[in-house]
Amino acid sequence: METSLSPRSLGQPGFLSDLRAFGAVLLREWRIFMRYPSWMIALFIWPLIFPMMYILTGRALSGPDGSGLEVFTQVTGATDFIGYIVIGTTVWMWQNIVLWDVGFSLRNEQMRGTLESNWLSPTWRFSYLLGHTGPQIISMLMFIGITALEFGLLFGVKLNGSVWMILLVMLAAIPAIYGLGFAFASLVITVKEANAFVFLIRGLVMIFCGITFPISLLPGWMQSFAMWLPPTYLIHGMRAAAFSNAGVTELLPDLIPLALFGVLWLILGYSAFLLMERRARRTGAIGQY
Amino acid sequence: MSDFAIEANQLVKKFPARPGTSNPSPLHPSPGGRGDGGEGDSEGSRKLKRRHWPFGRREPKAMFTAVNGVDLQIQRGEIFGLLGPNGAGKSTTIRMLCTLLEPTSGTARVNGFDIVKQANDVRRSLGTLLAGERSIYWKLSGRENLEYFAALYHIPQPIAKNRVEELIERMELKDRANELVEKYSTGMRQRVAVAKALLARPPILLLDEPTLGLDPQAARRLRELIAELKQEGHTILLTTHYMEEADLLSDRIGIIDSGKVIALDTPEGLKHRIEQKEVIRLEVTGWHDEIADKLKSISGIENLISRQEGEADLWEVNMQAHNSRAAIPRIVEHISGNGTRLVNMNIVKPSLEDVFIHLTGKALRD
Repeated sequence: METSLSPRSLGQPGFLSDLRAFGAVLLREWRIFMRYPSWMIALFIWPLIFPMMYILTGRALSGPDGSGLEVFTQVTGATDFIGYIVIGTTVWMWQNIVLWDVGFSLRNEQMRGTLESNWLSPTWRFSYLLGHTGPQIISMLMFIGITALEFGLLFGVKLNGSVWMILLVMLAAIPAIYGLGFAFASLVITVKEANAFVFLIRGLVMIFCGITFPISLLPGWMQSFAMWLPPTYLIHGMRAAAFSNAGVTELLPDLIPLALFGVLWLILGYSAFLLMERRARRTGAIGQY
Repeated sequence: MSDFAIEANQLVKKFPARPGTSNPSPLHPSPGGRGDGGEGDSEGSRKLKRRHWPFGRREPKAMFTAVNGVDLQIQRGEIFGLLGPNGAGKSTTIRMLCTLLEPTSGTARVNGFDIVKQANDVRRSLGTLLAGERSIYWKLSGRENLEYFAALYHIPQPIAKNRVEELIERMELKDRANELVEKYSTGMRQRVAVAKALLARPPILLLDEPTLGLDPQAARRLRELIAELKQEGHTILLTTHYMEEADLLSDRIGIIDSGKVIALDTPEGLKHRIEQKEVIRLEVTGWHDEIADKLKSISGIENLISRQEGEADLWEVNMQAHNSRAAIPRIVEHISGNGTRLVNMNIVKPSLEDVFIHLTGKALRD
């Protein structure tokens, strides 16, 4: 039968087309993010609430004259215990938010019903997951900036180092933190519910990575385990950059493991995604909710 | 290039069965009730075969056969209707053809491309409407949705811009194209979803229940659009619960039940199969199962289907008869009394739905 329609679609495959599709995913995420204004409230309140719990506990334990803080300084080397705690809790919140946001991004699309319609297009499918990270990273940078501003204004926390060095450490940590998020997103599509895993991972970060104390206080086996968790290096590196004026050389012991973990977690995250994609084609998991 | 737009040979799809469930299909129905709730199977494989495996070796997984050897050859430019009751295997078949699912065995080609080995080429050839209004983003505007999907389908930007405007115009969305989709009516959302399927000007369209949930006017407009798309040369694979829709639009219809295509013909050809039969349609109040059993026992009566009409106690009962004149006095005799009242009775020409009932023993909307 003759048809007036071309047997090929308008679409033109290629790297640039995939790149433009990735840009479209980023733009879509950004637009949707901006259309839920409640995030503004979280952005201003959460940076204060969570660290306050530890800061007030620290104040209570330091005694009426604050003399206990000297012991804290001796143990940690930090003169500003509030800044010390804020960096630890901010990293914990970063990892936590990535697990919820990136980790559940595909699942949320699946429940909305849009995952299948994305999956039906000829675009490189990993870009759907990558696209979620763009607005997430921007919102996290805003979160960290507002944290610094609030604690600077309200508690007098002052940086004694370079903002660029802090950003460098954060940049080095991004692949590891988001690689775990990618692996997690693939797991969530497969098992549908993974709250228990989020609680486990953030619990591990809370206990092992020294968010409010130096890991030297931990028993030996716990310290060894902590060395396998990227947030340990991120927290240590950020503290050194923020309060000890550490330069690139001093930060290398944190930057190198972070980069290595980044490569490892990106590979694991991508592999988990490919496995999930393959499994979904066999089981129909993409359309299930 | 293959002669056929879609060609499937002995497509089979098996899923691991879920233990302890009566609905082992992994394809859940959507909240709106669309899609296949539990995919069907043939007699033999319907029973979940879980053999006992001695000496500690892992028991082989029980499998559920959702599609059991489907053969299809859909011509370029035709509208092919795929009909089947819930759980017949329609959605699984469509999901295999659009590369969301990999077949367990068998092969299929879409626009000449293998659905497993050339999945991306298949996706480029297809426009799909699978989850209707849920397939688009409600927090984006109609225009933003179309621009987004145009990028996903790799349509070059200048072409995409024109195409989006053209489709907005065609779908009569111009006045509200910049409003968020969440403010649209169901019909408007469905039109955005159809526009999304048409963005890349794909030669083949898969439309899964395109008019489900639409008001009659919106459904009529969409049916007109489907007919126009055929005129433009699109091949359309359509699944629907609405017999009249399939009858009206389809060049050919495949009836699928228990994972197999049990009949495939033009709508007229299918109706011709039961032309020698008559359909007796009753409207009764106070209907109950005992009467159904009595009517089924009348010689020459078969395929009796009853369904309640709306909220009131009014039932429509359809049955097929070889000789309605002989059967009617006995039908009236059985229905009278016991609180049951005959409200209306007609003898009608067999419709496509009667063919369906004849072939599957169940109504499409069961």
